[in-house]
Amino acid sequence: MNLDRVSPDLRPIAEDIARRFGNRIDAWDTPRPNEVYVHASMDLAAGFCAHLHRRWNVRLIAVFADDFRNEGGVFHLYYALAADAAHGFVFLRAPVSPDTPQFTSLANAIPALNWQEREVQDMFGLKLVGHPNPRRCALHDDWPEVYPLRKDFGLHTVLPPFQGERHKFRQVEGEGVFQVPVGPVHAGIIEPGHFLFSVAGEPVLYLQLRMFYVHKGAEKLFEHLPPPHAVRLAESISGDSSFAHATAFCHAIERAANVEAPPRARGIRSVCLELERIYNHVADIGAICTDVAFVTAHMHAMRLKEAVLCACEELTGSRLLRGMACLGGVRFDWDAGQIALLRALTARLRPEFDSLVELIDGSSSTRDRLETTGILQPKVARDLGVVGIAGRASGFDHDLRRDFPHAAYDQVKISVPVYQAGDVKHRLQVRVDEVRESFSIVEQLAARLPAGPVRSEIGELPAGRVALGYVEGWRGEIFHWIRTAPGNRLARCKIKDPSLQNWPALSEAILGNIVPDFPVVNKSFNLSYSGTDR
Amino acid sequence: MNLDPIHLLLQTLLLLALAPLLSGTIRSWKAKLQNRRGPRPWQAFLDIAKFLRKDMVIPEHASWIFHFAPYVVFLSALLAGLMVPMLRIPAPLSLFGGALALVGLLALGRFFLALGGLDPASAFGGMGSSREMTVSAIAEPALMLAIFTVAITAGSTDLSQMARTTQSTAFNLLNPAHVLAFAAIFIVLLAETGRIPVDNPATHLELTMIHEAMLLEYSGRYLAYMEWGASVKQLVLMTLLVNVFFPVGLAGADAGPLALAFSLAAYAAKLLALCAAVVVVETTNAKLRLFRVPDLLSAAFVLAALALLSMFLFR
Repeated sequence: MNLDRVSPDLRPIAEDIARRFGNRIDAWDTPRPNEVYVHASMDLAAGFCAHLHRRWNVRLIAVFADDFRNEGGVFHLYYALAADAAHGFVFLRAPVSPDTPQFTSLANAIPALNWQEREVQDMFGLKLVGHPNPRRCALHDDWPEVYPLRKDFGLHTVLPPFQGERHKFRQVEGEGVFQVPVGPVHAGIIEPGHFLFSVAGEPVLYLQLRMFYVHKGAEKLFEHLPPPHAVRLAESISGDSSFAHATAFCHAIERAANVEAPPRARGIRSVCLELERIYNHVADIGAICTDVAFVTAHMHAMRLKEAVLCACEELTGSRLLRGMACLGGVRFDWDAGQIALLRALTARLRPEFDSLVELIDGSSSTRDRLETTGILQPKVARDLGVVGIAGRASGFDHDLRRDFPHAAYDQVKISVPVYQAGDVKHRLQVRVDEVRESFSIVEQLAARLPAGPVRSEIGELPAGRVALGYVEGWRGEIFHWIRTAPGNRLARCKIKDPSLQNWPALSEAILGNIVPDFPVVNKSFNLSYSGTDR
Repeated sequence: MNLDPIHLLLQTLLLLALAPLLSGTIRSWKAKLQNRRGPRPWQAFLDIAKFLRKDMVIPEHASWIFHFAPYVVFLSALLAGLMVPMLRIPAPLSLFGGALALVGLLALGRFFLALGGLDPASAFGGMGSSREMTVSAIAEPALMLAIFTVAITAGSTDLSQMARTTQSTAFNLLNPAHVLAFAAIFIVLLAETGRIPVDNPATHLELTMIHEAMLLEYSGRYLAYMEWGASVKQLVLMTLLVNVFFPVGLAGADAGPLALAFSLAAYAAKLLALCAAVVVVETTNAKLRLFRVPDLLSAAFVLAALALLSMFLFR
């Protein structure tokens, strides 16, 4: 065991792990100073996570599996933990034998793992032991017994048509209790998701969510694409976060290849990430107002969003920043004119955004609708591991830009808005604060964007490397974890979008509210269906 | 009083033509006020014409009520419209009923509208119907009470008679009873025509809808009747406000063409002013929480009660 490579911040945690669990740890691996892998048996997982959480306030960010049978004869189960204060990640890697393909659920102790563990079960056929609700989740009931992310499942497999029983929704009974099914096809241009409301009159007693209607097999597809092409696939994981997802993927590849994007490229990446944040936040602020029928504010927000999108097109050739990200940096450099345009944009938008916020704050009827609506208690948010905007409105004091500075975020001053109230109004307020913060970040970066190239060369990827790429997208933290295979391919690409983590919180936030308030509560979370189901 | 066929025909046509135009004008002005270009005022006509041409999709479980409701909604609104003086006193059907018949006809239309929403047994229709009935249970008494305030002065519940009394020089337009009753009916107008802050006519969110939720299963011709009926009802309520409360320019029974033309111009001007008020309210307000709508309507009821009270106090 050699902890020399571990970054100084993370070292106390690594030493503590070695001290406490040393005799049960089979191997250590430190591919990068802030990324430590601990190889141990499954039984260690519960105690390991619990200890790190209590002692070091480490949070579990993802649980996923990897089919390692061709290389090592076993499946690997990964528990990814983020030590925000130590700016590092700790992974517990536990082998699962193909002869007894099962693993112990931690969902009873950590409710945040509910969907993730079931996704592992559906995709890899590793049976859950001790899960409170081990039904199908990521793959619907109409899927036959196949495990798409196993290596022996061919990409072009054609599945037989549906047979058997349809999904049984949970029944809620009582006098005057009705169930109102909404979706999966909705009015307006949104993605499919099923919401089953159990209501007594207007108040909601229970909301059952059923997601995963848009399974595209993206993670499987990544294993069949050369990395430069896979960047384009990463862009389409969630259309409103295309730059963030693509950048997270590039970040993972760069870390695997031990190449860093040049400073200028990192600056441009940060600017693009902030532009993505601004246009989405502004659109959401408007959409929240529409859902309470305050259309005037919505129209102003759309006007501001349009200005940002036009600027994006000037800067990257695409209104939604598509095609800008690439391995090793960014595709296009900016000339002085484009940087001046960036400055002009923030100078123009700042006062207009202020007056939009003033318009909303000044409308007492709007405030009345937003305040105390859809409260997500900080304790519930913590239990469910809610991240991003929704988390920060409920006391979640984390932001990858501050805690794990990627791109050029180490060059700028960032303050993270955190509130405890957890209602729609405060999710709106987090957005307002973050837009202002983004203006400031864009200005800081535009003022001193380093000179130099915008792209580093990345040769063929060495096989057998693992790496975690991370980006704070506008919705929350995005992780791409990869393992490389021979021949410049990926053996596995695990994508973690914040939506997957946050959807269950919606069921909690709506409890006790009335049905007509659901759209605005839902909009205040604004989660991605596509990012949930890759 | 004789039934004047020409007058009857004229008012029917006016109701049918003016109602969609008014809805379209509100939509168009609202867009202008929100910095949008918006639809042209006559877009509402084109929509109705389009719906009339389209095929209908009838829900599998719908009974005769579903088919019957659009006609009742449309005709009850139209009949109610013929009892309100639009251009000339008396109204063409004033013989057949006054304020009570008007409120009754509107209630009949609403009853069938709610049944039509419930009948196909879709989740949203039922929610819409239940909300509509909750809202109208408070809106209706407020409307009645406010009308009675004027009826007491006129000594009759006949709307034409009420307009005539209000028109007479003896009556003071700034009478507190009058103003309070007007305010009460204005709030009822917002509720009954599904306007912000009670309902949002432009939303696509089924979960928040009241009026639109009941229409979700309707399509084609039936939808055209429903929409047209709703806009006629809106015109009727607006006419009630502008002609019974401010019968300025309203022509008498024996008016010539010139007086009628003047009456039409005055009527249009008053309607547009009222539209402008509705547009301003809709643009500057968010929708109320559903459970606060009764508070607003109770306020209308209290205003109407105060109007009635001040009628006796300041007489």
